Amino acid sequence: MKEQIYRWAGPSLWVLGLGVPFALSANWISILALFAIYAVVALSQDIVLGRAGMFDMGHAVYFGVGAYTTAILNVTYGWPIFWTMIPAIIAAALVGGILAAPLVKLRGDYLLVATIGVSQIFHLAMVNNTAGVTGGPDGIFGVGVPSIFGHQLISQGNEYLVDWGLLGIVLLLMKNLEHSRLGRVFRYLKEDELAATTLGVNARYYKILAFALGAGIAGAAGTLFASQLAVVSPGAFVFTESVTLFAIVLVGGQASIPGVLLGTVLMFVVPQVFRELAQYRYFAFGIGMIVVMVVRPQGIWPRRRRMG
Amino acid sequence: MSTLFQQLVNGLTVGGIYALIALGYTMVYGILKLINFAHGDLCVLGAFIGLTVITSLGGASGSPEIWVVGLAFVAAIIAICCAGVVLEFAAYRPLRNAHRLSAVVSALGASMMIENGIMLIWSPQTLVFPQGVLPQISWHVGGVVITFTQLMIIVISLILMASLYLYVNHTRFGTAIRASAIDQDAARLMGINVNRVIVSVFILGPALGAIGGLFIGLYYRQAVFDMGWTYGLNAFIAAIIGGIGNIPGAMLGGLLLGLFNALAGGYISSTWQQAITFGLLIAILLVRPTGILGERVAEKV
Repeated sequence: MKEQIYRWAGPSLWVLGLGVPFALSANWISILALFAIYAVVALSQDIVLGRAGMFDMGHAVYFGVGAYTTAILNVTYGWPIFWTMIPAIIAAALVGGILAAPLVKLRGDYLLVATIGVSQIFHLAMVNNTAGVTGGPDGIFGVGVPSIFGHQLISQGNEYLVDWGLLGIVLLLMKNLEHSRLGRVFRYLKEDELAATTLGVNARYYKILAFALGAGIAGAAGTLFASQLAVVSPGAFVFTESVTLFAIVLVGGQASIPGVLLGTVLMFVVPQVFRELAQYRYFAFGIGMIVVMVVRPQGIWPRRRRMG
Repeated sequence: MSTLFQQLVNGLTVGGIYALIALGYTMVYGILKLINFAHGDLCVLGAFIGLTVITSLGGASGSPEIWVVGLAFVAAIIAICCAGVVLEFAAYRPLRNAHRLSAVVSALGASMMIENGIMLIWSPQTLVFPQGVLPQISWHVGGVVITFTQLMIIVISLILMASLYLYVNHTRFGTAIRASAIDQDAARLMGINVNRVIVSVFILGPALGAIGGLFIGLYYRQAVFDMGWTYGLNAFIAAIIGGIGNIPGAMLGGLLLGLFNALAGGYISSTWQQAITFGLLIAILLVRPTGILGERVAEKV
């Protein structure tokens, strides 16, 4: 019985989410639309950090690569939003894979520090208007809205449904990853790399793959982010964003889908709701992070041990 | 040529500050294997406390007496030491046996809390240090200008580093610190109170950091609540360059990074200076992850 509830609770909640545009105010729709986008990024961070066990503190970079790819292709070259998602995913996955290729040989804190470096370099590169296409510190304005069969999804509710749809796809993907060979390989690598290697796992290959996969998904979220906000600027992909994503996974619970979603709610939706208290929120956040870790070091909703 | 020497002097000044802050990172890492992300913010807190003492006791004239400046340093050091110990007790000690990432998130939370606490207590804007806190003397040596502030920072940093080096290498308690860094369990079996060593590290590091933070304020004559990240990251890079966990390494790394930043900013590109620094960091991590002087932690890489 309990198993049944567990199995159906998630999908039911997602279906319920489809009704949001018809039930809630515009303010809530935009908060939940951004929740869907950040949840996708957090889940993709979880692939690298929670599942493959690599301390990646630069995940906002891949999210940013996706968003910038979309913004540049849409604003400068007039591509439709949905078409930009493919190059956005490819670009982000490539950046993730290429950066990971040399970096994955670093372990633990050393990888963490190197990814912090990547994050800072990316931010500076965007601010400095590299190659004259990133728009400098102000970023790129006027990113369009997606369209389906020539029908522009102008209304906020429609855009929300697109975001919610992506979240659904990524959740399915994560669910499948959990039960697939790839997911198990990641877990072995996390638990004991040496043992995995002796069993014939090509550790380097799978680590790069984890980065590319996580980055690609973050890139897809970047596309929708650019379209949702209509503007892409370096400020949205600063190091603090990477830290927040990192904390979402740890506070929620590594390799736990409900945990990561809960983490996203706590670290992302809650501050949006208490916007009037904006100046106190990061102060409270910091205390909250310490308290959660001290009380529940494994995260609020850790991964369930598999039964049987 | 004089530009080169000028950059060297500037670099040495900033390098001395980095080294002071880097020591806090490296000592904590050496013993707890924890990147204390809150350290940079503690140093900035020191700068703000020092500034408050100077402005409230120094009068409006803007050139306070020397004892006021001294008091500012003492107040900053005491406050930051207390903050460091509280941090250790509240945020790190309960997590000592937990997964290491839990402690990292706790440290990030502490950093966020201190940074935004500073913003709430003082101001979200940049605060300016008064003009005449230190004597406005400068010397011209063959086209190179050395200010009193620079000389003071360089000399005091070097004295502090030398004292710490002697303390850690030539006293009983220093030996206990080094022993705990090598092997906590063995140190405990030898009768060393490792908890006391850890607390002492959270006193020594923040003390030096508070001085470093106040130096930043006095040198650049301004302080802003979120500058902890910038200086913290630079100091942390310095610690890695020297070999994280290695005390002389942090000193060397700080000075080298200061010089490197000054030269990179002066000769290559000032807009890309931070990126160059991080590029250097990644290159060092890939080629020689243990840093220049760090042999001991080779197996941790």
